[in-house]
Amino acid sequence: MGRIPSSYLGNRIVTLFLTIFIAATLIWIIPRLSPVDPAEIALGRMAAGAGTVGNSEDILAQLRAQLGIDQPWFVQYAKYLWGIVQFDFGLSTANFPTPVSALIANALPWTLGLMLISITITFFIGNLLGALMVWDHSPKLVKVAIPAAMVLTSIPPILSALLLMWIFSAKLRLFPLTGAYGLTVEPGWTWDFVQSVLYHGFLPALSIVVVTFGFWALGMRGLMIGVQGEDYTTLAKAKGLRPRYILYKYMIRNAILPQITAFALKIGMLIAGQVLVERIFAYNGMGKLLYDAILDQDFPVIQGVSFVIILMTAFSVFLVDLIYPLIDPRIRHGR
Amino acid sequence: MTILDIKNISIDFPTSKGVVHAVSNFSLSVPQGRRVGFIGESGSGKTTTALAAMRMLAAPGYVSEGEIHLHSLGDTNVLELSDDEMRRVRLKKIAYIPQGAMNSLNPVMRIENQIWDGIVAHEGHVERAELQRRSRTVLESVGLPASVGRLYPHELSGGMKQRVCIAIGVCLKPDLLIADEPTSALDVITQRQVMQTLREVQETIGAGLILIGHDMGLMAQSVDDLAVMKLGKLVEYGTVRQIIENPQHEYTKQLISSVPLVGGESFIESTPEILRGEAGPLLEFDKVTKRYGNVTALHPLSFSLDGEVPKIISVVGQSGSGKSTMGSLMLGFNAPTEGTVTFRGKDINRLNKADALTFRKDVQAVFQDPYACFNPFYRVDHALKFPFKRFGLAKSESHTRQAMEEACVAVGLDPSLVLRRYPHQLSGGQRQRLIVARALMLSPKLLIADEPVSMVDASLRAAILKNIHDLKDKHGISILYITHDLATAYHVSDYVMVLYHGRVVEAGPPKEVIGSPQHPYTRLLIDSIPWPDLDRDWGSAKDAAAGLDALATGEAAAQSVFRGDITGFDLSVHA
Repeated sequence: MGRIPSSYLGNRIVTLFLTIFIAATLIWIIPRLSPVDPAEIALGRMAAGAGTVGNSEDILAQLRAQLGIDQPWFVQYAKYLWGIVQFDFGLSTANFPTPVSALIANALPWTLGLMLISITITFFIGNLLGALMVWDHSPKLVKVAIPAAMVLTSIPPILSALLLMWIFSAKLRLFPLTGAYGLTVEPGWTWDFVQSVLYHGFLPALSIVVVTFGFWALGMRGLMIGVQGEDYTTLAKAKGLRPRYILYKYMIRNAILPQITAFALKIGMLIAGQVLVERIFAYNGMGKLLYDAILDQDFPVIQGVSFVIILMTAFSVFLVDLIYPLIDPRIRHGR
Repeated sequence: MTILDIKNISIDFPTSKGVVHAVSNFSLSVPQGRRVGFIGESGSGKTTTALAAMRMLAAPGYVSEGEIHLHSLGDTNVLELSDDEMRRVRLKKIAYIPQGAMNSLNPVMRIENQIWDGIVAHEGHVERAELQRRSRTVLESVGLPASVGRLYPHELSGGMKQRVCIAIGVCLKPDLLIADEPTSALDVITQRQVMQTLREVQETIGAGLILIGHDMGLMAQSVDDLAVMKLGKLVEYGTVRQIIENPQHEYTKQLISSVPLVGGESFIESTPEILRGEAGPLLEFDKVTKRYGNVTALHPLSFSLDGEVPKIISVVGQSGSGKSTMGSLMLGFNAPTEGTVTFRGKDINRLNKADALTFRKDVQAVFQDPYACFNPFYRVDHALKFPFKRFGLAKSESHTRQAMEEACVAVGLDPSLVLRRYPHQLSGGQRQRLIVARALMLSPKLLIADEPVSMVDASLRAAILKNIHDLKDKHGISILYITHDLATAYHVSDYVMVLYHGRVVEAGPPKEVIGSPQHPYTRLLIDSIPWPDLDRDWGSAKDAAAGLDALATGEAAAQSVFRGDITGFDLSVHA
């Protein structure tokens, strides 16, 4: 514990950027394996709007130049790399000519807000319930209710979203059906706006929480069973410590460690997991952006969103690596 | 004055296959200040009985009848206390000292916090300065520096962790200490130190002590009264002198005779005709050194073991002495930092594929933990069959079966009883014998046995060592026996090397080296062995510590004493 040695930090940072570089390269290569030509798609869109397009060959060439796909692959690749360093992913083909970075900048705060709140709540509830399933002193009711609640885990998030929407929005009219904030409030740091955001975010967050808490609860249950059998738990009991103290300081404190690593990995995956939920609630976040981009074959946006997912995963894992020695004294950064 | 009265208790474990009577009709009183030993094999109910007094039986066990009275609570039956009342009894009245060397301390909490939380749980809020003072005092009372309080468990050695567990146990000055095999994971030198520490603090606070164990020698050196348990029943009870000098029950006699003594009668009958192997050097170390970073695990060493007349060479020493490093060098799991290890003239770290396969067949290993050696997923015959087939020894399915059965019989197992079972259905002794059988099936030239009996019950050790000894006599296999147990090394080996800090400090035939040791380290090792001899002075914790200190600072440690040679084994130690 204590200071992080600079050699370790240096190593870890190099690995971090190497990971990001390799992943960025992969997301550049993969769409190019597809036979679809984005310029043709854009042309098709024009044609659909205007009925006919004359000079199609010229326009195609122009579009290709604008999208930069008329150049040799290495030039494209170098430009791409230089671009992502500046968070420039080019122009969206579907919302031409909006820059991808602008689309992401609009969507990211919504997703981060929804995601961080829902994943954090899920993490706490899931782990606590998982722990209570194992703990000797849990009320009987809890031990029956939690496994029953696990049924929810088998529901795909789109179904839970639709179900909650139907119950709370359509039938009970407690929550709004769609959107990230009310149409009548002006975005900005006002109390009305914040209220509206929380009000609109509640159902999407809940639909994610109810279907994903089981992941944490089941994992925690397994870890807790292991910890329950450890000699230190037995000794804690033999020391006459209060059961609740043993639960928190001896059992959960040790069982939670691998869950924290899993949490870091989950952060990146959650955008992907949220795609359909955002779509259903017409919540203008990264998930919906990605969903629309896939439908529209909007490669630059797909690339941009994927890159953000990579960045988030890589950085959260990096952070957990750095803080791990603080939560587990047995782990030390290499000398 | 009696502090604990166990009156006629029975403990049952209801299982799907019916009720298991773990303990039946057990009665015993522990007087104040007295040390009572509970001895028996694993599964004899000794720990179960002691845990019942703390109401800490593992589910689904419960006390089906009887009473347990605690005097300091005005003779209350502890079985009738409420859960919270019982919680207050633990540590304050009855403290449990687990086998602490491994995993009994919370790995993410500082030592001092683990002492403090016990105090706070019983006394409510206590000022931090007062807590610090008390943890310091109690750590010092078990011979640890107060600075240990700031450390985490993984920063301590096994012996230190065990002493922390004792410190936790005595910090509230309870009436009764229950120590459950507190030293079984420690080497002999540390064992003596820890055991004597436990006795000293127990005498200081005037508590009664229940010591649970399976080693008659340790009991003889540690307790006043002894309760011998077998299959949940108390078979014999009396003062330790009475029981050791005049045992009544057959089982007690067996327990006493199973302790191997240095000198005395051997438990191994020598076979008149020893099967000869082929001539020529089998295993050679040429100036082998092993370093890990700045730490030298093995200082330069050369030896040559001839294969013609099979021999058992013992390597003895404490944990950390470098003996297991030596074993892994011999097995080629680790390459030496300098020097070469050759097997039948070939450097084992530069073998081609075919030679490497032959080497793996010719050199077999038996390790400490017989459970970890089996894949829990397969029946045990898989572990026997698989290498036999892989090395191309199997001619047909029936040939394989026959070889397996012969190997089982050779190690004293009934093949029809064990082969189709899963590892968890067998006892530790059976598993270890199967590992020996597995090695035997491959007809190796050399067997590396690294602590093969340290995890099996004392009563079974002799039988397994006999199996290993038979490999030499009846099957012409040379054996390297790595152990911390000098008494068994004395009986089975032809030559002994004593390792201390990676250096051979004394070597020669066992009668010389172990029978009349000359090097101070060998002497310390032998003095530390607990024997079932009541008139022997086992020394105090300070003696043990002083002995080690003298070695660490003295020059004697670096010198090797050679006590004679045997044919077919040459050893030289390089500066």
